[in-house]
Amino acid sequence: MDVAAPPLLAFRSVCKRYGATTALDDVSFELQPAEVCGLLGENGAGKSTLVKVLSGVVAPDTGTIRIDGKPFLPRVIADARARRVSTAFQELSLVPALSVAVNLFLPRPAINRFGLVSTRRIEADAEQVLQQHGVTDISPSALVGDLPLGMRQKVEIVRAFSHRPAVLLLDEPTAALSDRQWLFSLIARALRDRTSILYISHKLDEIRALCSRCVILRNGRKVLDSEVAALSDDAIFSSMAGRSVGEVFVRASTEIRRGAKPVLEVTHLKGSGIDDIGFSVAPGEIVGVAGLEGQGQSRLFKALVGLSPLQTGAIAIEGVTVAIRSPRAARRLGVILVPEERKSEGLFTGLTTMANISLPVINQASRLHLVNQASERRLVETVTPAVKLPERYLRLSISALSGGNQQKAILARALLAGAKCLLLFDPTRGVDVGAKQHIYAMMRGFVRGGGAILFYSTELDELVGLCDRCLVLYRGAIAGELARAELSQDVILALASGHSGGRTRRANPRAHA
Amino acid sequence: MTAASQLAQVRSVAAGGSAAAFVLLCIMTGIYAVHEPSALSAFGISNLLNNTVVLALAASGLTLVVLCGELDLSGPGVMAIGNVVVATTSTGSLGATGNLAAVLAIGAAVGGLNGFLVAYLGLQSLAVSLGSLIVCQGVALLILPAPGGEVTDTIVQAVSGDIRAIPAPALIMAVTAGLWLLLKHSRLGVALYAVGADEPSARLSGLNTRTTKLSAFVMSGIVYAIAGFVLSAEIGSGDPRVSDSFLLFMYAAVAIGGTSLGGGRGGVLGTLVGACILSVLQKMLFALGVADFYTNIFNGVIMILAIFFGQLSAWLARARHRGQG
Repeated sequence: MDVAAPPLLAFRSVCKRYGATTALDDVSFELQPAEVCGLLGENGAGKSTLVKVLSGVVAPDTGTIRIDGKPFLPRVIADARARRVSTAFQELSLVPALSVAVNLFLPRPAINRFGLVSTRRIEADAEQVLQQHGVTDISPSALVGDLPLGMRQKVEIVRAFSHRPAVLLLDEPTAALSDRQWLFSLIARALRDRTSILYISHKLDEIRALCSRCVILRNGRKVLDSEVAALSDDAIFSSMAGRSVGEVFVRASTEIRRGAKPVLEVTHLKGSGIDDIGFSVAPGEIVGVAGLEGQGQSRLFKALVGLSPLQTGAIAIEGVTVAIRSPRAARRLGVILVPEERKSEGLFTGLTTMANISLPVINQASRLHLVNQASERRLVETVTPAVKLPERYLRLSISALSGGNQQKAILARALLAGAKCLLLFDPTRGVDVGAKQHIYAMMRGFVRGGGAILFYSTELDELVGLCDRCLVLYRGAIAGELARAELSQDVILALASGHSGGRTRRANPRAHA
Repeated sequence: MTAASQLAQVRSVAAGGSAAAFVLLCIMTGIYAVHEPSALSAFGISNLLNNTVVLALAASGLTLVVLCGELDLSGPGVMAIGNVVVATTSTGSLGATGNLAAVLAIGAAVGGLNGFLVAYLGLQSLAVSLGSLIVCQGVALLILPAPGGEVTDTIVQAVSGDIRAIPAPALIMAVTAGLWLLLKHSRLGVALYAVGADEPSARLSGLNTRTTKLSAFVMSGIVYAIAGFVLSAEIGSGDPRVSDSFLLFMYAAVAIGGTSLGGGRGGVLGTLVGACILSVLQKMLFALGVADFYTNIFNGVIMILAIFFGQLSAWLARARHRGQG
C-alpha cells in the first residue's frame, strides 16, 4: 500500500455533544483502503458515538467526514449503506420477533412478482449468505429472539459483512462471541476484497492480532494514533486510562477456608440444558466456569437462583439443603446472581444510581415506608468503596453511567444485600479496563471476607488469572475441572471444545472441598 | 430446512395466540348451534356476520397501529364522523361512490394527523389519539347535533344485501382478511412487525420507523372510515353517538385475537376471530337463557381466558422448541 494513497475515509475535527457531556471532541483520523484500524478506549470514551456518527444514527455537531474524497453526511442507516458503510453494532441491531433470514435482508427483503416477501426465497438466500460466511449452525427460519446471545452476535456480524462494504465498523464484535477464529477469517477475506475495517475492542490480544494501526480515545479526545507494533501493552493501557494500570492480574494468595462447610454445594443438577452437574464452592474460593456459548452455563446460573427449572438435584447452602424457587428466595439465602444482560436484567434505568443500589434493602433506610435519604446514603456508602464507585455518581440516573460504573453499581447492590455467594455471569462484558481492575479487586476483597464466588467469563485470561479452580462445561455437563496450577487458556479451550483427551485429567469434583 | 421452516410457521401461529382464539370460537359456535339449530343456517350466519362486521373492521384498523407498538383511541371518532357525513350527504349530489371517497379521505386525514404527531413529533400515541377522539366526536356533533339524516338506499343495499348470493358482510370480512395477508407479506408488513417488536433495532437495521408508523396510522384511519360507512348502511341513518360504545370492544377483539397490546405480535386474522367471538358470545348466552346483564361479565372473562390460552400456547411452543434445541 502506497503511503501517499488518499485515505478511503477521512474524519476531520468531528465534535458531538449530548447536553453537558462532550462525547466527541475534535476527533480526526483516517482509514486507508484495505486496512484494519483498531479503536480503543474505556467505556464512555466516545467509541460508540463515533460508530453512530459513521453509521448515520447520530449527526455530528461540527466537523466533516469524507469517503473517497466526497462528503459523507449520513442522516439514517440507509444513507450510510448507500455509501457502502456497514456496521455490526455492539448492542446488536436485530429484531427478535423476526426470523434470521428477514433480519439479514432488512430493510428491503427480496419480493416476488406480486410484491410480496417470499419466505421460502429469502430463507434460501439467507442459507446461502450464512454458508458463504462460514455459518452452518444457525437456521435461517429461526427467530432471532430464540437464539443465544453468541449466535445473535454471529448473525449481526454476518449481516454487516454481507453488504460487501467499503468501510466496515465492528463494535465489540467478540463481546458475546466465543469463536474468534471464525471472525478473524472473515476479516482476512474482507481485506482481500479491499474493505477497510474499524475494529473496536477492549481486548488487546485481538487488536494485536488484527490491526496494524490503532486509535485511542479518552474522554472524547483522540490521545493516540500509532502503529500497534510500536506500542507496549502498558503504553496502550495508560493511554486509555490516563494512568498506568500495571499488572493486570494481581495474584493473591489463596483465601480458601478448607475446613469450613462449603458456601454452595450442588449435586446432580439436571434440568433443561444442564446434565448432572455437581460442584462445591468453599468460603474464600473463586470457582470459575468456562465454556463456549450455549453449553449450559446460562441455564446453570439461572437454575441456582430458581430462574430455570430443575428436574433433579440438590442445592445446599452452608451445608443445609434448600429449595430455591426464585431470585428472591436465593437472595434471602445470600445467593445473588449478577446477570448476563445488564441493561435488561440488572438495572432500573429510570432510577438514580443510589436507588439502584439500595433497592433490595430500602426497608432498612425507611421508617413507616418513607425513605430516609440520609440513612439510605449511609447504607449505600458502606459498599461503594468496595467497588470504587465514585460518590458523585450516586445522584445521577444510572442510565447516564458508563457500562463499567453500571456494573459496579450492580455489584454494590449485591454486596449491600448481604451476599454470601456471588454468581457472576460475565461481569466484565462491555466494561472498560479501569473498571475491570476494580471489579477484580472487589472479587478478591469479597472472598477475603469469607464469601464465595462462582464466576463465568467469556474471557479466558480472566478465568486463568482469578480463579482458584475452573469447571469447564461442554454440552451441559462438566467436561473437566482444572486446579489453579493447571489452569491455562489452551487447556480450557481444549476441554471446552470437547477434546477432553491429552494431558488434562478429569478431576474429582470433591477433591478440593 | 423446509421442515424447520414449517415448524417455525406453526410456532409463530401458535405463539400469536390466534389459534387459541379460533378453537374458542369453534367451541362457542358449537354450544350456540346445539341450543339454537338455526345458527348454522345461511340466515343465521348472515345475521351473525351482520352483527360482527363493523366491530371486525374497526378492530382490524386498530390492530395495524397496535402491531407497530402504538395505541389508538381515535377509531370511534372517525366512525362517528363517517356516519354523520354519510347520513347528511349521501342523498345529495355526491352519490354513493363520492360519499365513500369523502369518508375515506376523512379517515386518512385523521390517521395521518395522528401518525404525524406520533411518528415525527414523538408525542405519546395514547394522549394524541385521545385528543383526536374527542375532537372527532365534537365535529360529528357539529355536523349532526341530534340523531337523524338518511342513508341512501344504494349504500344500504350494497353493504347489507347479498352479492351473488353471498352476504356482503361476509365478502367485506373476506376482503379484509385477503388484504391483510397481502400487507403482512409485503415489506411494509415486515416493517410493522419489526418496529412494533423492537423499534431501536428496527431503526439500526435501516428501516424507516417514522414512515412505517405513519403508514400504520393512515391505514387504520381508512379502515375506521370504512367501518363508519358500513355502520351507516346498517342503521340507515345518522347518530353522532352511535360509535361511542365501540372503543373497549375494539381493544377486546384485538386482545382476544392474540395480538400483543405491546406490539410486534399478532395480526388481523386473530382480530377478525376475536370480533366473531364477542358476537357469538352474546348470541350463545342469549340462546342459553342467560340474562342480558351477565353478558359483560362473560365478555371480560372470555377476554382474559383468550389471552391466558394464547400465552399458554406460546409457552408450550417455546418449551417444545427449547427441548429440541
